[in-house]
Amino acid sequence: MALKQRLLYLSAQSTDPRSPAISQALHEPVRGTIVEIDPTRTELDYESVHDAICDGWRVVHFPDQRGSLEGSEIEVLGYQFVLEKMEQFDD
Amino acid sequence: MTSAVKPTTKHLLNDDQVVDFIINGYHIVEPQFPAEFHSQVYSELEALPTNPGDDISKAVPKIDEIYEHPAVRGALASVLGADYTRAAHRHCHKNHPGTRSQVWHQDSLNIPTLDDGHGRVSDHVQSVLVMYYPQDVASNMGPTALIPGSHLFTAAGDRNASHGNFRDQIVAVVPAGSMLILHYDIWHAGTANTSNQIRYMVKYLFERASESTQPSWNHDSANDAHIFERLERDEAALIQHSLVSKRNYRRTTMWNHLAGKAGLKYEYRDKWSGEWPQPNS
Repeated sequence: MALKQRLLYLSAQSTDPRSPAISQALHEPVRGTIVEIDPTRTELDYESVHDAICDGWRVVHFPDQRGSLEGSEIEVLGYQFVLEKMEQFDD
Repeated sequence: MTSAVKPTTKHLLNDDQVVDFIINGYHIVEPQFPAEFHSQVYSELEALPTNPGDDISKAVPKIDEIYEHPAVRGALASVLGADYTRAAHRHCHKNHPGTRSQVWHQDSLNIPTLDDGHGRVSDHVQSVLVMYYPQDVASNMGPTALIPGSHLFTAAGDRNASHGNFRDQIVAVVPAGSMLILHYDIWHAGTANTSNQIRYMVKYLFERASESTQPSWNHDSANDAHIFERLERDEAALIQHSLVSKRNYRRTTMWNHLAGKAGLKYEYRDKWSGEWPQPNS
């Protein structure tokens, strides 16, 4: 067993962690796993970043608030938070 | 166009269907063929020893019949104009059991057969993808996923690579014979096939040949206020507030590009008068 980092990318409607989540990607610390679009899912695991925090996730990256997306040529969807959870995994 | 079969007005889209396409970036047509027709196409695809690439229509000529069906032609004429053209590029996707999901992407613009070499067009319809599925597509057979409304935004694949599932993603779980018409710039992906059946998808490209001077669909100017309301208010997928006004502007511009002289005139109107908000109960 080893303590490993699980990563959860959550894109939110705004920089407010209570704003609704737009997308999610969960990266498990297991070799050979990939993040896939799951066509059978009908909803995300968490309604918001705050909802994930309440479930024990810890924010390790906040979305950049220095520039506005208004007028930008690249219109990224959502404001991305990165969260982690340290858990024991079999090696 | 080479076919002698022209779509009649009954096969053209109506105003709300064109608005749906502008807002969401996709439209599904189910042309009527005998049930065995699509299973025959599936069998012929199964018999191909190699990928014929652009020559898929020569290898399986039945596929052209589907793309020439009046219901398909009517929908294409509605969003591209009656003189739309078919690009030489086409592709058959063979999605085996065990195939993993693609990442979200817009199709490449580096296709020499795109006649005018246009870039991303977030306020017009210059090209569309039309995906044909010769078998029923269940949710575990690698259905095409898309983000409704994403064709209205300029994005870079590497900047969006960290998205996985979108809250409002649409998954094309469709019956055999369905035709999924997509704005060329929509974000989409083939998903994982966890079934025990090969899922085929044949993709053709169609392009606008000329600018519209009038609506090429069944338009009624009496619907203008309703259309304007929908272009401003309808949600396709949850996005940040800072993109909403840009999205709405592009929707209206796209409508006006398609409608020519029947474009909407932007006039100020008071959207806020009416009932006071009620106290919280």
